[in-house]
Amino acid sequence: MVPPLVETQDLVKEYVLGGETVHAVNHVSLKIERGEFVAIMGASGSGKSTFMNMIGCLDVPSSGEVLIDGIATREMTSDAMAELRNSKIGFVFQQFNLLARTSALDNVAVPLIYAGVSGEARRERARATLTQMGLADRLDHSPAKLSGGQQQRVAIARALVTNPLMLLADEPTGALDTHTSEEIMHVFQTLNDEGITVVLVTHEADIADYAARRIVFRDGEVIEDGPVANRRRGRAA
Amino acid sequence: MTSIATRLSSYGINVAIALTALRTNLMRSILTTLGVMIGVLAVTLAVAVGSGAKVSVMESINSLGSNMALVFPRPDTEGGRGTEDRGRLTMRDARAIEREIDGVSAIAPQLRSSIQLVATGRNASTAAIGATPGYGIVSNITAERGRFITDADVNSASRVIVLGPTVAKKLYGDFDPVGERVRVNRVPFTIIGILESKGSSFGNDNDDIAIVPISTARQRFATDTLAGPDDLHMLFVGFQDGFSLRTAKREMTRLMRDRYRVRDKEISPFTIRTTEEFMQETAQVTAIFQAVLVAIASISLLVGGIGIMNIMLVSVTERTREIGLRMALGAKRSDIRNQFLVEAAVLCMIGGVIGLILAIAAAAAFEKAVDFPAPIGIATSIGAILFSALIGLIFGGWPAVRASRLSPIEALRSE
Ligand SMILES: Nc1ncnc2c1ncn2[C@@H]1O[C@H](COP(=O)(O)OP(=O)(O)OP(=O)(O)O)[C@@H](O)[C@H]1O
Ligand SMILES: [Mg+2]
Repeated sequence: MVPPLVETQDLVKEYVLGGETVHAVNHVSLKIERGEFVAIMGASGSGKSTFMNMIGCLDVPSSGEVLIDGIATREMTSDAMAELRNSKIGFVFQQFNLLARTSALDNVAVPLIYAGVSGEARRERARATLTQMGLADRLDHSPAKLSGGQQQRVAIARALVTNPLMLLADEPTGALDTHTSEEIMHVFQTLNDEGITVVLVTHEADIADYAARRIVFRDGEVIEDGPVANRRRGRAA
Repeated sequence: MTSIATRLSSYGINVAIALTALRTNLMRSILTTLGVMIGVLAVTLAVAVGSGAKVSVMESINSLGSNMALVFPRPDTEGGRGTEDRGRLTMRDARAIEREIDGVSAIAPQLRSSIQLVATGRNASTAAIGATPGYGIVSNITAERGRFITDADVNSASRVIVLGPTVAKKLYGDFDPVGERVRVNRVPFTIIGILESKGSSFGNDNDDIAIVPISTARQRFATDTLAGPDDLHMLFVGFQDGFSLRTAKREMTRLMRDRYRVRDKEISPFTIRTTEEFMQETAQVTAIFQAVLVAIASISLLVGGIGIMNIMLVSVTERTREIGLRMALGAKRSDIRNQFLVEAAVLCMIGGVIGLILAIAAAAAFEKAVDFPAPIGIATSIGAILFSALIGLIFGGWPAVRASRLSPIEALRSE
């Protein structure tokens, strides 16, 4: 039996601020299977990002367990975590987080450095992934010379270049206009159709409608978890 | 194999990342590296001057004659106890040494005195050495013009004198005075030769001397410091090349102590030193001199290193978000640490190379200006660059480790 791609068991994240304990994520247990397209929703401060960062192995839980592809992460060394992020998870951020004054090609190649891919192969794979993202003619452009949508597509290419099992995207359309947001959501849908698992955080209902499953957080707890009723299909750029 | 290639290429990447980061803050990088540059300049110059001192001291010891022992009529108080005793050393001791010690190639018994020379209205004062032909052999000195003193000169105590180039120049300018008469302490002498130049060491002019037969010196010059008519001021004993001076010194000491019937635990009334000892002591002294210079110069390098540390800490703080991003993309702690180490090392090496170039220029100018050797060799150059990289690794170390210890999520959330 194939284990779930992500499984959380009684996941808790607390912050102690001035003697008061904030339960950012409060006893969350859920599973995400391979190939799913999940939207995580909720009001500001409801714990979406905190949850996402823990299943992305960027943050460590206060208690509970995160299993990625059946592997428990609680006891992992920081090196093992880094390797896991590198090989199995691709991150997409609201603010793109591209390296300034660095070409699109070199930006996309960064994860491959840490995967130990050698120079020429690195450039080749980065070029192929950027081409897949429709940016074949923007390889040498630095982020400053790209539009927001193009920058986010470079970021998606960077997330994809190591062939991860899933993409984690925290508000990927948060800095984009409606039209560009729809384009990006179409990109995610296409990738999901090709088999990659996508988990995205958003507080916009119409963005969440591109997903197949919706999980709603409130005060660190899951209050709703089910299929999206009228799923939107994005349109090509 | 591929993993080695990958490793190397990832260092290449690190260098590329470092250069990009350094170029981004060009002015800051220049100012930062200035400290290391000045430090490397100072240390390299210190090393150069130190080895220059060593070279010139060794040269002047070599100019004494390569393999020889010096015997003085001075109680050997090396053990520390002072003495009022007058030392002993006679011509008979010199002959005994020549006869009984193995490996002796020549002996040069000497009397020393300062003399006044007057010629055609000009005068000069200099140090005269009353010597035998052996002096030329042991000291490795010959007459460049005319001739050196001979056994015949010594046997007949003739009034002949060989002048050092400086003395000759003072009295006669560019005129060749061989065959001329000169008054030495008011007594007329014939100049029979001019010595070859031995240059100078430590501002001490080796050419400001004159040589007369030892017998003549004994008859004509004041030798009141001596106890008896057979006493010497100094004796040089030349040894065959490669002959152990350590053994020779032991043998000579034993012989001389027997001759003066010195009992155990009593100090010798003579002192024997060898060029080998001078070399060793000089090597020690110049090494200490060099170490002191380098230590002083290192303070500026330390200051430069602290500048590097400061700027690397700023750099880490400024790029916290980038560090978080790289960690999210799979960078291990060691990758982050190495990235900043390479950046610091590259920064320092650039400073080091510039500092080295300046040092080479400064050393050349220095050599010209004060006629003192300040060699900067390949080893020093490579050492300077590697050392500056090491400074980068040391002072970049803490900032780099700090960067690598950041939590990925906190780093990503910064700003
Ligand atoms: N480092 C931290 N220190 C203290 N409290 C924190 C920290 N990070 C998050 N929190 C708190 O945890 C709770 C959940 O935060 P989180 O960022 O997960 O919310 P979110 O659902 O992503 O909100 P938004 O939609 O505004 O991004 C909030 O109350 C927040 O103040
Ligand atoms: Mg959030």
